[in-house]
Amino acid sequence: MKSRVVSLLAPGVGLLVVFVVLPLLWVVRASFNRAVDGAYMVSAFTFENYVRFLGSPWYLVNTLWFSVRIAIVATVVAVLLGYPVALYIARTRGLQKSVLMTMVLSPLLIGLVTLVYGWIVIFRGGGLLNSLMIAMHVYDEPIRYMWDLKGVVILLVYIGMPYIVLSLLDSIERINPALVEAARNVGASPWKAFWKVTFPLTMPGLHAGLVIVFSLNFAAFAIPLMVGANDTQMIGLVIYREALLNNDLPFASALSVIMVAANALILTGMGFVFGKLILKRLEATR
Amino acid sequence: MMRNDFGTWGLRLFTYLAMTFLFFPIFITLLVSVNPSEFILPPTGFTLEWFRAAWTSDTFVRAMGVSLLLGLTATIVANGIALLTVLAFVRYDFPGKASINLLVMSPLLIPTTIFSLALYVFFARIGFGAGVLPLVIGHTLHVLPFAVRILMASMQNFDLSLEEAARNVGAGPFRTLRSITLPVIRTGLVSSLVLCFVLSWNDFPISVFLAPPGWLPLPVELFSYIKFQYDAVGAALASSLIIISALAIVIIDRTSGLRQVVQR
Repeated sequence: MKSRVVSLLAPGVGLLVVFVVLPLLWVVRASFNRAVDGAYMVSAFTFENYVRFLGSPWYLVNTLWFSVRIAIVATVVAVLLGYPVALYIARTRGLQKSVLMTMVLSPLLIGLVTLVYGWIVIFRGGGLLNSLMIAMHVYDEPIRYMWDLKGVVILLVYIGMPYIVLSLLDSIERINPALVEAARNVGASPWKAFWKVTFPLTMPGLHAGLVIVFSLNFAAFAIPLMVGANDTQMIGLVIYREALLNNDLPFASALSVIMVAANALILTGMGFVFGKLILKRLEATR
Repeated sequence: MMRNDFGTWGLRLFTYLAMTFLFFPIFITLLVSVNPSEFILPPTGFTLEWFRAAWTSDTFVRAMGVSLLLGLTATIVANGIALLTVLAFVRYDFPGKASINLLVMSPLLIPTTIFSLALYVFFARIGFGAGVLPLVIGHTLHVLPFAVRILMASMQNFDLSLEEAARNVGAGPFRTLRSITLPVIRTGLVSSLVLCFVLSWNDFPISVFLAPPGWLPLPVELFSYIKFQYDAVGAALASSLIIISALAIVIIDRTSGLRQVVQR
């Protein structure tokens, strides 16, 4: 039996260890190496890649803090859009529900480039939105949406929203309708019933959604690459550029380590806040 | 709860607006791709001229070949590996099951940026960097967790004694797999194959890191096209991708349910 298990697991585990685990460990090791022009890298043990990033106010402000800010803004907007949608979908049944679910989830399977194309048609200089706004005299000069920070945020919200809806829906559907009914029966207004009963019970789903979407946004590189400008230096994009365009693999590796560490730190903080919030609610209702 | 009160109407309106936001770019792309007068909306007629141009362009036809080959290879390899892994998981109990499950799911948990960079740096060590092999491996590992999850779900209700019975009457392991196991998980397998293929076919982030020049998959080629050229041929190609994805979405929804398979 043991040999059976081993032979069934060997291909998968082997492939993952060789091409995921080892490369990740190698990235950590490579972050202490030194880059050389036109070649792979020189084996070393230096902190200069970390110092170059963490010791530079420019990188800290324009890359690290910038990525955190953009990720937060895009995540919050995705929640504001996704929360009501999740609430509504949870109330629907049958065909309507499956149509809405399919619509919400399709962007996850339709490729990024395809979606970006549609947004470019709408948002580019002489695009639909600008033509419409100028024709209606809302403003006179075309506004730059694409190849700009605005485009990056719009696309991040667009890709993040389905995950928010999905996570929230999981916890909304788990709520016992009798609880809301009971609140209404003792005279709570719909708004109050929502705020006191439904909302606290969606905290776990909200937390799960925030974790996924914040991490995706924080590490994003394809969206800033496609619709960003020269000054939208999100950390994922800097990693991509350093590795592929500048061939500075040690610096790209160090940035990856910093990115994962910063993400872990932020998620830990978020987990702490959510733990506190949920605990407080529990104590208040006791 | 289900009363059509004011709140429900507000939510409904909001949801429909949000759906418009989600679908507007897709709708516009489809519209532009069949409109004879480039980018002048509303459309002045109907034409398949842009589609013809897109599907006969040497660059795009070549990129389609690359994407097709890449998608099929990654799908078949990933599903083969996933099937073996899932068989081990449902048939046996062994120490370290949870850690191995985490390992198998890891490509989903690691940001794509880091996953691709790690493969790039690793293969650069051997002298490749970007290349066909890293590209295929990247796609295979990217879709593997999805295949494992779907196949695992479709085997969860599988009666193991059926396999045992087949073995008892003298069927070998391959015969058992072919005549007992595969028919039971057929729906799951179809769903998994379609999902893996469409994820690979549409992937941009991994390909842009790992694809070598001359081996650019369709999304990467489309991206470099719309970056420098802005015409309805791009829209026709994007529309083709939308139509293929829509077909896949329908098949996946019918077989496994979309919601179960896209979760992170």
